[in-house]
Amino acid sequence: MRALRRFFKRLGSWARTHQDEERLQAEIEEHLAMQTSENLRAGLSPTEARRQAVLKFGGVEAIKEDYRAQKGLPFLETLAQDTRQTLRRLRKAPSFTITAVLTLALGIGATTSIFTLVHAVLLKSLPVANPAELYRLGKESRCCYTGGYSQDREFSLVSYDLYKFLRDNTKGFAELAAFPAPEPLFGVRRAGSSEAAQSYPGEFVSGNYFTMFDIRPYAGRMLTDTDDQASTPPVAVISYRLWQEKYGSDPSVVGSVFNLNDKPFTVVGITPPDFFGDSLRNSPPDFFLPLNTEPFVETDADLNKVDIHWLDLIGRIQPGANPASIEAEMRVELKQWLGSHWGEMSASDRAKFPSQTLYLTPGGAGISSMREQYEHWLLILMTVSGFVLLIVCANVANLMMVRGMERRRQISLSMALGAQAARVIRQPLTESILLSLFGGAAGLLIAFAATRLILHFAFPAFAGFASVPISASPSMPVLLFAFITSLVTGIAFGIAPAWMATRVDPIEALRGASRSTAGAGSLPRKTLVVLQAALSLVLLSASGLLTAALHNLENQNFGFEQDRRIVAKMNPRLAGYRTDQLSLLYRRIHDSIASIPGASSVALCLYAPLSGGAWGSGVWVDGHPPPGPKDDNSSLWDRVTAGYFDVMGTPIIKGRGISEQDTATSRNVAVINEAFARKFFGNEDPIGKRFGRKPGASREFEVVGVARDARYVTFSLGRPSGPFFFLPEAQAEYSQGNLGSLFLHDIVILTRPQVNLSIVQVRQAMASVDPNLPVISIRTLREQVATQFTQQRLIARLTSFFGILSLLLASIGLYGLTAYNAGRRVNEIGLRMALGANRGQVVALVLRGAFGLILFGLFIGLPLTFAAGRFLGSQLYGMNPYNPVTTLVAVLALGLSALAASLIPALRASSISPLEALRTE
Amino acid sequence: MSPMKEKKDVLQGTLALMVLKTLDVLGPLHGYAIARRIEQISGELLSVNQGTLYPVLLKLEQEGSIASEWGASENNRKARFYRLTRGGRKQLQAESRGWEQTAAIIGRFFVLKADDLK
Repeated sequence: MRALRRFFKRLGSWARTHQDEERLQAEIEEHLAMQTSENLRAGLSPTEARRQAVLKFGGVEAIKEDYRAQKGLPFLETLAQDTRQTLRRLRKAPSFTITAVLTLALGIGATTSIFTLVHAVLLKSLPVANPAELYRLGKESRCCYTGGYSQDREFSLVSYDLYKFLRDNTKGFAELAAFPAPEPLFGVRRAGSSEAAQSYPGEFVSGNYFTMFDIRPYAGRMLTDTDDQASTPPVAVISYRLWQEKYGSDPSVVGSVFNLNDKPFTVVGITPPDFFGDSLRNSPPDFFLPLNTEPFVETDADLNKVDIHWLDLIGRIQPGANPASIEAEMRVELKQWLGSHWGEMSASDRAKFPSQTLYLTPGGAGISSMREQYEHWLLILMTVSGFVLLIVCANVANLMMVRGMERRRQISLSMALGAQAARVIRQPLTESILLSLFGGAAGLLIAFAATRLILHFAFPAFAGFASVPISASPSMPVLLFAFITSLVTGIAFGIAPAWMATRVDPIEALRGASRSTAGAGSLPRKTLVVLQAALSLVLLSASGLLTAALHNLENQNFGFEQDRRIVAKMNPRLAGYRTDQLSLLYRRIHDSIASIPGASSVALCLYAPLSGGAWGSGVWVDGHPPPGPKDDNSSLWDRVTAGYFDVMGTPIIKGRGISEQDTATSRNVAVINEAFARKFFGNEDPIGKRFGRKPGASREFEVVGVARDARYVTFSLGRPSGPFFFLPEAQAEYSQGNLGSLFLHDIVILTRPQVNLSIVQVRQAMASVDPNLPVISIRTLREQVATQFTQQRLIARLTSFFGILSLLLASIGLYGLTAYNAGRRVNEIGLRMALGANRGQVVALVLRGAFGLILFGLFIGLPLTFAAGRFLGSQLYGMNPYNPVTTLVAVLALGLSALAASLIPALRASSISPLEALRTE
Repeated sequence: MSPMKEKKDVLQGTLALMVLKTLDVLGPLHGYAIARRIEQISGELLSVNQGTLYPVLLKLEQEGSIASEWGASENNRKARFYRLTRGGRKQLQAESRGWEQTAAIIGRFFVLKADDLK
């Protein structure tokens, strides 16, 4: 307390220095006068009396100094002094200042921009009240549906029935909310509007969803438990973004009716602007509907299926409740619920029953699938930008040391005059910290621009949809990060030059010859160049690896043709089609598009290759023993119309493709891919064999053809394609009602050579079939494939950029050092030349010095590049991380730029005239 | 330079205590009178430059133990008078207790003979 009061007093008196000086002066005067008069009374002469008084008082200046030290804040004062002086010195050396600030801005900007993403994706909580109280079900995020009564590793998705059971029996939760893992699109049209339906992402949520998150409406009200009942009239909540962007902040939106998938909903409220739902993702939901309206909207409803697990759970725990005990409670409840369905369980479910469990994990960040998806590459980028920052530090440290050399005389002089080492160190340190703070401020601008650019490429926004809710503008933590980074950077690159500056002998100043310093300070600078060379080698080979991996990915054999193919996406569900109308719809779409002059042929399918989805099922082969509970008998499959393989350009290796001869009345057939044939038929000839998708139905399909393996799914791109089979659309189970797999999404169009099919033509053809059927997107297959590698391309490009940047910085560093050293050896070179050395020998002399350093850098860097390759791991998609070619290219790149950087000073040194050189003594 | 500083600090601490006690006993005084008083009491044992007193006075004032104002001295000169505040009185009590305890402990060590430890 007392120290604090003293601090404020001191702060105050620091501000009114002058006044206090006068007071002290007056007090001293008065003191001396009193002592003098007393001495006079004791009989001393006036002069002697005064002299004795002054003697007794002690050194006035020393006391004043002491007094000042007590009074003000000497630290602040010298800091202000140093800062003023440093600013003056920096102004006097503009080229040094600009180079240093720009270099630092690049390093700090790059790091800060990556940190902005790391913060938003990996560190930030949802913008809701007390996110620490939120817990979610599951350690990993899963998508989207799993059936049955057992789940691998953990029970992380639940059915509506299981949700209700857990919600009603777990007492530790204040609220436990549920929402589906799949992210549906809705065909949206405001009632009474003449506009065609447009699709927007939406989400079904349990009635307590907004209460659980503690979200207050921006306008109207949020959903409640009363809304989430089968009997209440359907209501919805709209996002602030859509309300603002699409409906121009029209207040009458609240209370009006919107048709979602052709079903009327009354909009009762608007969410607050910063709310983006329960997870960070590209295109967050624009509509929130009560969970119980799902059967009302979706033709193939999952709500009342007891064993279809598709809901994610997030709950807010009671204040003070222990999540571990809630988890234990829920595990018991899960077993109880499973036990109550023992009758419906399959043999494999029963076998897995003892191992069934669940986990609660902190849910403040929501369902963090994006976190899992981006964690590794953000980590890579963070490391890479950290390396760049290190190189930047080394470069600026180098610059600072050169400056330090120039100031040696001045410093040794001030030390000879009695300056304290601490004070001498503080000056260059102030300079470096000040520089890096300027660099940090400029870096923030670079970071803002860079983050916007990265967001634009990493999360391309779909037209009309919300973009990913990550802001490029620096938030408080980002600002803090940039500030601390700058400070640490400033100290990191400033401390060595500052320390070196004080390693001078005061005698030097008196000697006054700059030659006596030769050789000093050379080792630290060499170390820095070696470090830079090593780090840039690591970055170069990492970027080489990533670029090569990307090249492999993009140029692999996809198993289908990309040229002249266009993919149009639609969703008949959004226009309210019933399944019995679908077959006719597909026929009409096919015919309508095929009649466009430029179209050569057309086929429809559930999912075109690399479009982001596929259906999976188990496989039971006729005549083979049924798979055991641990055997993986899964395969992916697609439903396609006749002629599909020709349209896609996927070669049929054996048998035939799906054709017009496969009709509802002919025998059920399937075409399999090579991986399917290998996995399920081994060496047997698969043609004519039968398999099915359920145990006991192994004669469901007859294999009529084998197609070349083609990439369909967007994950596991580093591994060979998995088993896949194709079923004819004409033989779909339309009698079975609301099967989701009956709704085909993708229309693939093969255009005639040299014809540009316009999007308008396709839209017109679709509109002529049904104007209410929204076309979600139309793009070429090449584009669709390219989008799959956006992330890889971005990371490869960023790393390459950082790699080249670091190479450039390292070259500048090497150039600076070589030029400096060559300059200092002018005498020696002149002497050598006078004694008969030719130009080539001089060049070799200088180059040898530079390449010695580079070799050292390689020596340190090479093991690091191998470590980097391992660290990149899965980002390389199966490529060998110890690729000798990329390493060799990186070494060559480093060698060439080192040659360029050192050749200039070497040539300059060799052109010295010996006479002149010797004269510069 | 550090050992020198420590010695001075100890000195300053004791000097502060002397100032406080002087003001406690004699009431408001100006700097010269305080210096004289400390000299008188300590005799020749303590040779301090009188000037050293002023930084101590400033420190005590900043801590709120003493307060000061301009007044007139005995021979009608302008002088700055220092007086003990309530906080200063408390500090004095606390510190003299602490001092006595320290002195007592040290005292016990000094009377201790080697035999006592056997």
